[in-house]
This record gives sequence, C-alpha cells and structure tokens, in this order.
Amino acid sequence: MKRAGYLTIAVAVASALGVTACSSSASSTSTSSASSFGVNATGTVHFWARQATDGPAIALTNAFNKSHKNLKVVLHLTPPNDDTSQLATAIRAGSPPDVVGLNDIDVPTFSHESALLDITKYVNALPYKRALSPGHLALATIGSKYYGVPYLADLSVLWYNKKLFAQAGLNPNDPPKNYAQIVTDAEKISALGNGISGFSFAGNCQGCLGFVMLPSLWANGVHMLNGPLGNQTANVASNSQLKTMLSDYQLLWSRKLVPLADQTQNGLTWGADFEAGKVGILPGDYGFATKMTDPTEFADAPLPGVTGNSYSTFDGGDDFVIPAGASNPSGAWEFIKWALEPAQQQQYPTQGDTPVRTDILTPSFAAKYPYDAVALKALAKGSVEYTLAYDAVYNEPGSPWFKMFEEAVYSGNVSGGIQDGQSGIQSTVDSVKT
Amino acid sequence: MAASERAAISAEARAGIRRPVGRGTVSQRNAMVGLGLTAPALLLVGIFALFPLGFGVYISLTNWPLIGPYHFVGLANYQSLIHNPVFLQSIVYTLKYTAIVTIPIFVVGYALAVFVRSNRPGTTVFRTLIFLPYIVGLVTESYMAVVELQPDSGSANFVLSRLRIASGTTAWTVHTGLATAAICVLVIWFASGLTMMLLMAGMQAIPAELYQAARVDGASWWSAERRVTLPLLRRSIALSLIISVIGSFLAFNQFFIITDGGPGTSTQSVVMQIYQTAIPGQDVGLASAMSVVLVIVVGLITFVQFRYLQGDRD
Repeated sequence: MKRAGYLTIAVAVASALGVTACSSSASSTSTSSASSFGVNATGTVHFWARQATDGPAIALTNAFNKSHKNLKVVLHLTPPNDDTSQLATAIRAGSPPDVVGLNDIDVPTFSHESALLDITKYVNALPYKRALSPGHLALATIGSKYYGVPYLADLSVLWYNKKLFAQAGLNPNDPPKNYAQIVTDAEKISALGNGISGFSFAGNCQGCLGFVMLPSLWANGVHMLNGPLGNQTANVASNSQLKTMLSDYQLLWSRKLVPLADQTQNGLTWGADFEAGKVGILPGDYGFATKMTDPTEFADAPLPGVTGNSYSTFDGGDDFVIPAGASNPSGAWEFIKWALEPAQQQQYPTQGDTPVRTDILTPSFAAKYPYDAVALKALAKGSVEYTLAYDAVYNEPGSPWFKMFEEAVYSGNVSGGIQDGQSGIQSTVDSVKT
Repeated sequence: MAASERAAISAEARAGIRRPVGRGTVSQRNAMVGLGLTAPALLLVGIFALFPLGFGVYISLTNWPLIGPYHFVGLANYQSLIHNPVFLQSIVYTLKYTAIVTIPIFVVGYALAVFVRSNRPGTTVFRTLIFLPYIVGLVTESYMAVVELQPDSGSANFVLSRLRIASGTTAWTVHTGLATAAICVLVIWFASGLTMMLLMAGMQAIPAELYQAARVDGASWWSAERRVTLPLLRRSIALSLIISVIGSFLAFNQFFIITDGGPGTSTQSVVMQIYQTAIPGQDVGLASAMSVVLVIVVGLITFVQFRYLQGDRD
C-alpha cells in the first residue's frame, strides 16, 4: 500500500475516533430566518420514529411524499427499547437524522445535553401554539426555550363496560368519579360472578401502572416529584392522595375484585380481558379503542382524581425534535408544520393515537371519534413528571415506584411500601446525573 | 571447534544429513508462511474482537453517558461496582442459575445422545424433534412461557392442577423461586438438544471395534460407557459444557421476557443488569466496567474448564 493509502486510513480512523470522543455538539439556531425556515425546503428529510408509533409515522410519510414534489421524507423505524440508544449513537457519530419522533419522557435527557436544536422562535410563530398539548410541550421546554414540539398523544383513560354496569345495577352513563366509587362499583360488578371482575390493572408492568395511576394524583394537584431538575424531592411519605390510591388498589386486590392474572400481567396482553367483556373498569390506554367494536358496550371516561373533583391524563406519546447537526432542519420543520395541520391531526384516531392540538376537538370530530373525544378533552388537563430519571424511577424493573406498589398492594403493607418508596425514589432521583 | 563437535558433523555428513545453510532461515520462512496464512483471521479478530474489547475497556475508565460529554475517571467505575449491591446480586444470581442448569442440560443431553446415536429407524425424526426447541429459539419460547405460566389460563397450571400438584392459580413469574424454576426448566428443554447433537457427533466418531473388543473382554454396557465412551468423548464433553456455561453466564432473553428481572431485581442476570445500566440508566461507562468484569469472569471459568476437561493432549 502506498503512503497515501496509509495516510487515508489513518485520517479516517482518527476522524472516527475524534467524532466519537467529541462531546455532543452544541445546539444551534444558526439556520435561516423564521420566515424562510421550513418553507419550500428541498432535498430529503430523514425521519426517525419509534416502532411503537409506526402507524401514524408511515401514514404521515406516505401522505407527505404524495403531496410534496421537492421534499422527500424517508422514514426509519427504531426498534422497541433501542430508540434512545440509536439516536444517541447517531448524534455521537455526527450523523443524526433530521427529525425524530422521540418518546416525550426522553426529550429532557437529550435537550439538557444540548443535543437538540433550539426551535423557540419557530414554535412561538405557530398560530395554534396555545392549543398544543401542555404536557408534551413542557417536556420539550427548558426555561423559556423550546427544543421540541408535540407530535402525537398516547393518552390514558378510564375504560368501562356499560353492559356490565347495567347488569350490576349501576348507571351505565355514570362512570366512577373517584377511587372510592371505583371500589364500590367494582364490588357490585364482581358480584355478577361467572368470571366477571370489577376492575383490572397490569400488575407486573411498571410503566403501565405509572401511565394510569399518576394522572389520578395530578388531577388533585399532586406530583410525585417536586422542585427543579438537580434539586428534586420525592413527594411520597406525606402524599395522602398516594396513600389513598395505594390503599384502594390493595382493597381491590385483597377482595379479589380483579383477575388473578393481573399480578403477572406485564403489558403484553393488557386489556384483552376487558375487550372480551370480562372486566367492568379498566384504567388503560386510549389506543385500546381500535379493538372496541361495540360502542353500546364499551365506553371511556377521563381518569378521575383520587378524591374526585377533577380529571387528568398521562401526556404520553412523542415529541418532534430536530437534533443539533441535522443536515436538513428547514425540511424537517416544514414536515413538522405540515403534520400539525388539522387535516393530518384528524387522522390520528384511526391509528390509535390522539391529536396534540386541543382545537381539533370540534363537534364533528367528537361525533366521528367519540372515544378519542374523551381523551382529547383530557389532554388539556394532562401532565407528566418532569425529570431526567423517569425510566429509573418508574419504568425499570425493580424501580422504586414498582417496589412500593408491590409492597403496598400484594403484600398489604401500604405504610411500609410508602416509606420504602420515599427513600428509593429520592435516592434514584439524586443518583441520576443532571 | 572441539573434537567431539567435529566428529558429530562428520557423522552427519556420512549419514547424508544436510544442515540448512542458515538454520534460522527455514524456521523464519515457516514463521512467515504461518503468519501469512493466519493474517486474515488475525486481522478480523483484531478489528472485530480486540479493538472493540480495548475500546470497551477505555469506555469503562470514563463516565461515558448515553448522550453528552464525558471525561476520564480512572478506576472509579470499578470501585463503585464493589459497593453496588444490585450488580453483586446479579452476579450471584447468574452463578446460581448457571450452577442449576449446567448439569441437567449435560445429563439430559447425554442421555438423549445415547438414545439417538445409533441409526435405528426413526432416530432421525427423534433427533429432529429434540433439536427443534433450539432451532425455534429462546425468544419465541420465552414468550410462549409467559402465556403458558399465567395463573388462571396457562397450560402449566392446568396440568399441575389436574395432577393435583398445585392449585392452578400459581403466579409463576412474580415469585423469585418459582420464576427461576420455570426458567431453568425452559432452558434445559431448550439447550439439551444442542448438547445431544454435540455429544452424539462425538459418540459416532468412536470406532465400533473398541466396543466389540470391550464386549469380547466381557464388559457390560455400563462398563463400556464408562471406560470407552466417556474417555474418548472428553473433548466433546468439554465443548458442550463450555458452550453451556458461557450461554448461561450471558443469559438475557429469557429473564428480560419472562420476569423483566423481577420481582424487584431478584431475577436480574448480569447481562440484563448491564443493559439496564447502559440504556435506561444512561451510564455506559459503568455498564462497560460491568462488561469487562463479566468478560474476565467468563474467561477465567472457561480457562479452568479447558484445563480440567481437556486434559493431556493426545
């Protein structure tokens, strides 16, 4: 090999190592002005979306490419559990995609490392900014700056079986308004026998439990974590709403008002027993709607506060983010703006997702998608836990949140579970780097 | 030159022995040929094994996060591992799991190999059926196990309740002991087929004359198995045990799918702990330190196995 050949390889290896060794690139807004940014862009936009949200991603990509001649979107679906690591690898390697549909709870992890483009002025220019999902937007916000914009909503609601309500002597048009009512309604429905359970939960799925339980705390103005990042405190031991909720779950379990298999339900077949007409009340995912074929039997309601008076939802789903260093940010923003238009947003329910604009909820939308109308109404009151430690606190196996639930519900030790939860959640939050 | 050396050289000359012009030249030439022949393999090993391993060691000496800047921290990650109860627990659990499944996989695999090593009619079908779980794969089977271990609808509980062994409502996957037992049974069923194939191949390579000679000498079936088969099967046994132990140490799929490491972290294998630390925990530096420790442990155990099981070279 000639000297030039060796030099070429040496430079290539050094470049690769250099890129790898580089810290993340600083975010930049050194793009074009707000008026030309995202207008008549050309070229290709590489769009990464999670496999879990492939339906809307594929539909949006196909529709956009049909209607845009000069700008092409190429979709890449990231596998479950690997979406953040793949994005981090791409950013580290200096070849990020142009736009990402990122699980909104993961956005702070990237935005706090300056890995995302600051799109504040473009978001502020959106005429419908005030109608955007508050929870999704909060997770993409640092101070007064936006590093993302809502993409799609995956919301939690309270499903209930109207036929079973009627059979149990309950009003099928009066879903539970608080946890005490959930317990009493569940008792009456379970009394029907024949394998019917009053209530059901995914009792071995950490993430599912957080998804449906936390909104009932938020509805009553209570969060599990308080304070700014880097100085967050766990609100567990003195959280009376949490204690009531765990006590009620313990009652539901100990009185056998839930299917026995709930203890091992890891989310794989979550909701199947409800869809089979065997469960009266199920806090669950709005996405179950795609399997609910009979509106006279199945209905959804907002997740009530533990002690009632209000409702909320988990603002789950994805945010659109543009990684710093994206090669076609203008094209990415044009695609994002197009996806947020009513014509596209109104198609989301067909894929099991909810629009991220509250102004999409019109009488005609509610008539066409009655299940989603409930979820979309709750979106305005939705929330999230803003933390870099969400996965560690809630979603990981052996998370302090789940240990607390197991101890309180299955072992019947609510006070002990809460005590352990306070110390476990606090130490987990403290250990995550900020 | 001493008289004795001169005598030796003349004796060599009389015997027609020709010393090479430069004694080192031939060996050097051989060495070059050997190096040339192995160079492609060495290059591949260097690129795909040694460089990543070295880079992994480097990452383990930093605070490398999933995203963001990093800096050198020396041995801090390794020091923290000593005081990391979850990691230590995962190592102990993986050791226990390995100890539980290794012998049954070998014994069942050996018994099946004895059963199918002949070429009687039907043995090919039998071999295929036993090897099938290995072909289907542990991921698929783990998902099947999740369904079949359900408290009120799974076939495991149904069969056990019909046999009056259990009530039929056992929540297998949320109790440490029961979950471990279920996973061990699954893995033994999955891996015995591979052991069977490895040992059967070794058994079929043993000359039939040796068994005939043993029979002539009055050896029973058991004596022939003990004095002929086992000694000549030593390398196949070593190979199957090493594969089995390494596979157990690197176990991930079955725990990730069936128990998710729970309850708590009580069924979390080492590799699962590494994954949890690197991706959800976003601490790639610490996870790399865990990986390096795992590589050393597996390497040591494999080395000891080689020394014990391979014995003297023929």
